[in-house]
Amino acid sequence: MRRAFPALLGLALVLLALYPLVASGYGVRFMLQLFMWVALAQSWNLISGLTGYVSFGHVAFFGTGTYVAAILITKAAWHWGPASVAGGVGAAILALIIGWPCLRLKGPYFAIAMLGLSEVMRVLVSYFEGLTGGGSGISLPTLYASTQIYYAMFLAACAVTGAAYFIITSRFGLRLMTIREDEVAAEAMGIDTARYKLYAFLLSAFAPGVVGGLFARDQGYIEPVAVFPLLITITMIVMTLFGGKGTIWGPVLGAASLFVVEELVWARFLYLHQLLFGAIIVLVVLAMPRGVLGVLQQRYRLPRTI
Amino acid sequence: MGGHLLEVRDVTKRFGGVTAVSRCSLSLAPGTIYGLIGPNGSGKTTLFNCITGVLERDAGEIYFKGERIDGLKPSQVARRGVRRTFQVIRVFPELTALENLLVVSDAPYEAARRRAEELLRFVTLDRLQDEYGGNLSYGQQKLLEFARLLMTDPELILLDEPAAGVNPTLLAELLAHLKQFPAQGKTVLIVEHNMKVIMGLCETVFVLDHGEMIAQGPPEEIQGNAQVIEAYFGRH
Amino acid sequence: MNVVVTPTMLGQVIISGLLAGALYAVVALGLGLIFGVMRVINVAHGTILMLGAYVTFWWFQLLGINPYLSLLASMPLMFLLGALLQRGLVRRVVGAPELSSLLLTFGISIALVNVAQWQFTSDLRSVEYLTGSFIVGPFAFSKSRTIACAFAVAIAALAAWFLRRTKLGKAIRATSQNSEVALVCGVDVPRVHLYTFGLASALAAAGGSLVAVMVAIQPEMGGVYTFKSFLVIVLGGAGNFAGALLGGLLLGLVEQLSSLFLTTQVSEAVAYVLLVLVLLLRPTGLLGGRAS
Repeated sequence: MRRAFPALLGLALVLLALYPLVASGYGVRFMLQLFMWVALAQSWNLISGLTGYVSFGHVAFFGTGTYVAAILITKAAWHWGPASVAGGVGAAILALIIGWPCLRLKGPYFAIAMLGLSEVMRVLVSYFEGLTGGGSGISLPTLYASTQIYYAMFLAACAVTGAAYFIITSRFGLRLMTIREDEVAAEAMGIDTARYKLYAFLLSAFAPGVVGGLFARDQGYIEPVAVFPLLITITMIVMTLFGGKGTIWGPVLGAASLFVVEELVWARFLYLHQLLFGAIIVLVVLAMPRGVLGVLQQRYRLPRTI
Repeated sequence: MGGHLLEVRDVTKRFGGVTAVSRCSLSLAPGTIYGLIGPNGSGKTTLFNCITGVLERDAGEIYFKGERIDGLKPSQVARRGVRRTFQVIRVFPELTALENLLVVSDAPYEAARRRAEELLRFVTLDRLQDEYGGNLSYGQQKLLEFARLLMTDPELILLDEPAAGVNPTLLAELLAHLKQFPAQGKTVLIVEHNMKVIMGLCETVFVLDHGEMIAQGPPEEIQGNAQVIEAYFGRH
Repeated sequence: MNVVVTPTMLGQVIISGLLAGALYAVVALGLGLIFGVMRVINVAHGTILMLGAYVTFWWFQLLGINPYLSLLASMPLMFLLGALLQRGLVRRVVGAPELSSLLLTFGISIALVNVAQWQFTSDLRSVEYLTGSFIVGPFAFSKSRTIACAFAVAIAALAAWFLRRTKLGKAIRATSQNSEVALVCGVDVPRVHLYTFGLASALAAAGGSLVAVMVAIQPEMGGVYTFKSFLVIVLGGAGNFAGALLGGLLLGLVEQLSSLFLTTQVSEAVAYVLLVLVLLLRPTGLLGGRAS
């Protein structure tokens, strides 16, 4: 089974790459969003799954990415590709500004500081109306590019998962985990926890910024309320927790399964699905804190590459 | 600094109204084993924490190999060659034994891995190298912690109650390892309540009481010291 | 932005700040109790406040009597809810890493907010009972705000009396200082946890009922109060009664003062910056208190 895995993975990737050629518009959009959630969940995993520092405001990076990209597209006529990358860079800069002071705080304090961040970003964006259009948001020039954005999101999801693979199987990743296990001991072992946390935080902000930019292009219109909602953070968290935080494929599994269920089942009952997310978080924390893959990893002594 | 490895000068540490360590001074020479004893609450662990950077001292200076280290972060102090254990075992539970050792070293991966495997053999834990740290027994974790200490070949080792909860066989094994250190140029400072360990191992013993250094000297001398006896049995 | 600030305006703003601050203090006291006793950050604290506000709304809607009397309903009801949550869920993560309790209470908060959205809808509600202000000299004090402050002070005094004078209150304080020692001294720690969570929820509910008369009620209103309660705890030091009071007043003042120069939305950003600054410079709070 283990030897078959890379081959199966390769096959899956090829199939996904060919998918738009045979799929309907709905199918392409469905998968496009799924890739976005994989990228988001995996990014949250990089900071919160590995170091144990819970980022409750991660949507702030997504929203920042949407705005940076939208502004570059509408005001400076950038192509959406580079604009999205710029969105990632903008998000990373925000992470640096916030992370440098806040990561020095102990876990719970950091979590609360992050809780406020997304609200503050929303407020700031609404305030600087001249640049961001304030509450009215930004409308992008019409463009039908679903297939191209499909590939862009696909690339983003693969890139972040690849990054997770390289990090988790490296000493860098192990050191991040020591922060989660016992930060005091990690420091005593010579690990500069502040620096490592910051690196992880920057890495975890980049992809949300990029997919935020892609999202902006795809939707064609963004406004503060739509791109900074707590629900996006909640969804990232549920997906990673359910699939298995701290593992490589956990966020992918969580994103895929929960997104599929959400689209097919819950979207019909608007409040039910958020309620269920809350319930799932409670259940996972109480019964299965390591998530599906985490439990399997422990039970069957699977290697970290899972 | 006159060839001292570690020099602690007049270090004071207060917590609110309580003075945990008061104008403490000590000097450690290279390649020697020292003991630090005193009744509970005398400030031994606080002193350790000041030396290793976990706590910021309120007054005094600390020099390691001639360089001031007070005010540095714990990771910086560790990197300069000062390694320690804690009163409670702090092995990383969700990392394997091998990974527990790997994270400590900055050497290239292959070299670090070889050294880690070598150390695990040294403490006879090699067959458990892929076992999660949290699944090891108390004694095995103690050995792992010991091995982890040696990963970077430190010059100064601070041990906080190494004999706590350890069975006599394992203790004898650990002590045998410790006895080798002076010959390797390592200096050890041990906080211990187990007097046999202190007497059998240490060249010089420091005694703290209520945060003050009340005596220092060879173990036999300390045993007969009236102040020391009073500190342990007298006023408390 | 040029604003001419007269002494009268300043006085007005300071008093408004203190009035608002008392309310923040009472709510924050609850959060501080939970954190001090159980080392749990209750992200659902503001959500319970929101439910308290809804109790007041429905009280007034269905019974038509003085909404302030609804305190007699919201506080016990939320005490019960808090106790249930603690017994059923929170209790299981008290020993676990703080990450777990954070995520757990976060999950609970989401679930409760959505139950509220489902049952009460997201429509903005309000309790139109007291409008206008008391005029004293050159100052105008919003009636609802003043009465809320009065109640807040009374409830805080009651809580203080309870914590200092009753056996259970003392047990709570003892556990907050050192739960191992408390256990050894025969304090029934699990029971203390239960009552602490209940008490804290009752305090949150009180806050909710009092703000219900002043602001628009909707299911997502709680989040900002959780955040502000946390800010108050950080300003005043966790587990520190006087600290919660001081922190609350300080927050109220800062908010009102900044509203002189900035829009109310931006003053939220000010609260946030204040939080980060205090956390960085003085993590044990301005009055000291427990360092975590």
